[in-house]
Amino acid sequence: MYGRRAVVDGVSLVIEKNKVFGFLGQNGAGKTTAMKMMVGLLRPDAGSVSIAGRSVLESETREIIGFMPEAPYFYERLTGFEFLKFCGDLFPRHRKKTGAEYEALLKKVGIFEAKDAPIRNYSKGMKQRLGFAQSLVNDPEYVFLDEPLDGLDPIGRREIKEIIKLLKQEGRTIFLNSHILYDTEELCDEVGVIHKGKLLYAGSVKDFCSGKPLEDQFIATVEAHNK
Amino acid sequence: MTVHNVFVITKNTFKETIRDRILYGLVAFGALFILLDLFLAKLSLGDMVMIKSFGLAGVYLIGTIITVFLGASIIYREVEKRTLYFVLSKPASYGDVILGKFFGLYGAAILTVLLMAAVYLGVVLYQGGGFDARGFVAILYQLLEAGFFVALLTFLSAISTPLTSTIAAALILFSGHFMSTAVENVKRIGGFTKTFIDAAYYLLPNLEKFNVRNVVVHHVPLSLEPFILSAAYAAFYAAVLLYFAYAFLKRKEL
Repeated sequence: MYGRRAVVDGVSLVIEKNKVFGFLGQNGAGKTTAMKMMVGLLRPDAGSVSIAGRSVLESETREIIGFMPEAPYFYERLTGFEFLKFCGDLFPRHRKKTGAEYEALLKKVGIFEAKDAPIRNYSKGMKQRLGFAQSLVNDPEYVFLDEPLDGLDPIGRREIKEIIKLLKQEGRTIFLNSHILYDTEELCDEVGVIHKGKLLYAGSVKDFCSGKPLEDQFIATVEAHNK
Repeated sequence: MTVHNVFVITKNTFKETIRDRILYGLVAFGALFILLDLFLAKLSLGDMVMIKSFGLAGVYLIGTIITVFLGASIIYREVEKRTLYFVLSKPASYGDVILGKFFGLYGAAILTVLLMAAVYLGVVLYQGGGFDARGFVAILYQLLEAGFFVALLTFLSAISTPLTSTIAAALILFSGHFMSTAVENVKRIGGFTKTFIDAAYYLLPNLEKFNVRNVVVHHVPLSLEPFILSAAYAAFYAAVLLYFAYAFLKRKEL
């Protein structure tokens, strides 16, 4: 609830393991609020969120999830490496991670060369990649990405999409918010459509599209609800 | 809440804080200000009381300004810039954040005060006053006050903007140092003013407990007991303020 308005209302989702789930909606539809509840940053006024059968509010649950916020801000005076190590050190099971392991992660997201530069000197795309790297620092089973492709150039987008595909191959479950529908269609097994806080659809991309482009189907669904 | 996470956040906050370029400027300004003592030494014909009073007051004044500068936005910035998202989506609690931020900032404040204290001790040594161990005791008391003050700033920055925090901290600092004098003065006036000042005296912290600068420069004997009591007083106030900072932050809409 925000004041008297329900920002997310009656959203019920069950996401199977090892799926890439795309959460679609217009700006202000409630995507980010829903994701914040899923990673334990917000407590729902009613209802609950469970991951692997446990409440997300439990500390142990957060050991197995990774979260990348939208347009992330950082501790600008730290270097990329220091920031990643800071994030890793917050996980009891990952405290003994070596420098080489952090470097491998920075290589994975393509900012290894800038590892010792202060984050304030990073471009928007580099910050996006660093945000992505920190979401993987604990080797999570469940990865939550809020607009992961935002601010990236076409090559950067392709690289991040490749990593998302790789994460799926590794057996992880990925939940992503996006308004770039072309990429969502390519990446996701399932989608959910949220509009004014209510869930309009949740299911396979194939069933949702029924042979039409995802963007057309999304617009049609939202407009039908507005009528 | 875990000790390890508090330590990780403390380390991160300390690192972030001491890399602030404006801080370097302020410390350099503070050192120059204390070095003015050399000029004052000439004017006062080497009067050690004058030199020490000015030097210790300089360390206190600049140290306090730096602490306000570093602390007025310590929690506010985390919320506004959403860097808290990174921390709280991991197995870290609000309590870890508050304590980590407090200790990190306190560590940075201690470092800057000790740097300026080194300049002060150097000046006294240069003027032939030897190692001013009593002056160092005054610095230790100042560090206790800094602990209270950092906790106050942590609390204020959790509930308001940096500007409001700065103004409120300055008012509390001012009243904390002058309330005991005010209580003495209103005894003669009486009436509502006395009741009001008495109430404020008991509500607000008495920061004069941490001011032994006059005592040390005039060679009044010092003992351990008041230091321990002052430390307990600072720790109690800091704990209460940090608890409220935690409670407010937890209720905040992220």
